[in-house]
Amino acid sequence: MKKNLFGTVVALMMWVAGSAQAEVDAKAAQKFVEEVTTQGIEQIINANVSQTEKDKRFEKLFNSALDLDFIGKFVLGRNWRSTTPAQRQAFIKVYRELNIKTWSKRFDEFKGKSFTFVGTTPSSSKGQVYVDSTVDMGEAKPVSVKWRVRQEGNEYKIVDIVIENVSLAITARNEYSGFIKNNPGGVDALIKDLQNKVNQA
Amino acid sequence: MIRKSVLCTALALVMGLTTSCASNSANQDQHVDEDRFETYNRAMFKFNYRFDKYVLRPVAEGYRAVTNEFTRERISSAIDNIKEPISVGNHLLQGNIKQTGIGIARFGINSTLGLLGMFDVAEGWGLKREPTEFDVTLANWCVPDGPFIMLPFAGPSTPRAAVGDVTDYFMNPLYWATYNDANIHDKVTYSYTGVNAIVLREQNIELLDELERGSVDFYATMRSAYLQNRKSMGCHAQEDKSYDFDFGMDEEDQAFDEMED
Repeated sequence: MKKNLFGTVVALMMWVAGSAQAEVDAKAAQKFVEEVTTQGIEQIINANVSQTEKDKRFEKLFNSALDLDFIGKFVLGRNWRSTTPAQRQAFIKVYRELNIKTWSKRFDEFKGKSFTFVGTTPSSSKGQVYVDSTVDMGEAKPVSVKWRVRQEGNEYKIVDIVIENVSLAITARNEYSGFIKNNPGGVDALIKDLQNKVNQA
Repeated sequence: MIRKSVLCTALALVMGLTTSCASNSANQDQHVDEDRFETYNRAMFKFNYRFDKYVLRPVAEGYRAVTNEFTRERISSAIDNIKEPISVGNHLLQGNIKQTGIGIARFGINSTLGLLGMFDVAEGWGLKREPTEFDVTLANWCVPDGPFIMLPFAGPSTPRAAVGDVTDYFMNPLYWATYNDANIHDKVTYSYTGVNAIVLREQNIELLDELERGSVDFYATMRSAYLQNRKSMGCHAQEDKSYDFDFGMDEEDQAFDEMED
């Protein structure tokens, strides 16, 4: 009888723990981000290959780790609702290209630096969690980098990166809504301008 | 909180604005009022941008061309040392006694053994630099930030940041060391301000270039990053998770309406 009760309690606890994890598996999310950063540092920054190969590897890692469809929708803000499917597709495409280009260039700045993972914090959005890390900057204060991770089934994707409290998604969103507000060409003009940026980069 | 109300009055007088010092929390996540001077700000941004393009950036590049990294590090370190008393005063105002002591020791050691601060000797002795400023002190006292303002030459700011900068200026040891001789005083403080601007600009050449290259609205990008970063300061820092916007797509309409500038 006692043993039975014990078993029930254990089963119940496991069930509770299990259902809590169904929401979002913070540990697995952290492991995912750790893997992405390790891969970036070992296979791209520190790899002894040509820049073209590095760019190629970066693009692959970027596309597999970040959910650009999801981010792009947020970044376009309220303008998303008034756009046609063709515009949306064009925007996501050029937004992806611009990010890959600018970040693969800046990626080398991380040379010799490493991420220290310090834990996770909950997010207000369902199925999402922040993986908290710091980057050692030598004499200066370490920089805080928070990775916003979204879980879908067993798949994890980064949906935002928050550096020293500055969210890249919010910054892009404010930038684009600022542009659209001051530009009669609206979303089409934005897509054109972004394309110009990609071509220049 | 007499001090706080005096500060608020000062803020209001200096900036000609009504800063609501009574309600700190109401100021929290409202993006609405943060750029009520956008037309003026964008014009001033344009002016600063031109000044930077034709004056400050070329000078900073020249400075980089005629110095090597070692020299630049010595200069930047000496400037950090000059600013040390500002940090000391503010650590004290923030009630951080330990860091106040460390700052005093650092200033003493680095000004002498560190050859006027060119070398950070104290760092090697475990006395780590922890810079702070009056803006941070005000934030710790829960003084609200106020709207975004683009200042001529100085760039992105807010009333609180501006009051902080002015106060720091008066806390600068160079200001006091030359106080009795008006002639030297002006020369020293102007030179210091100029050198400081050039050194800072040189350190950020690549960063700002990159930011601009990837941005379709450089003003909006800068404003956004500046204001977000400031939300991590002061007495509301812990509870503020402004970056944790609602990503849930079901409530997108509501979330979008709340977030737009």
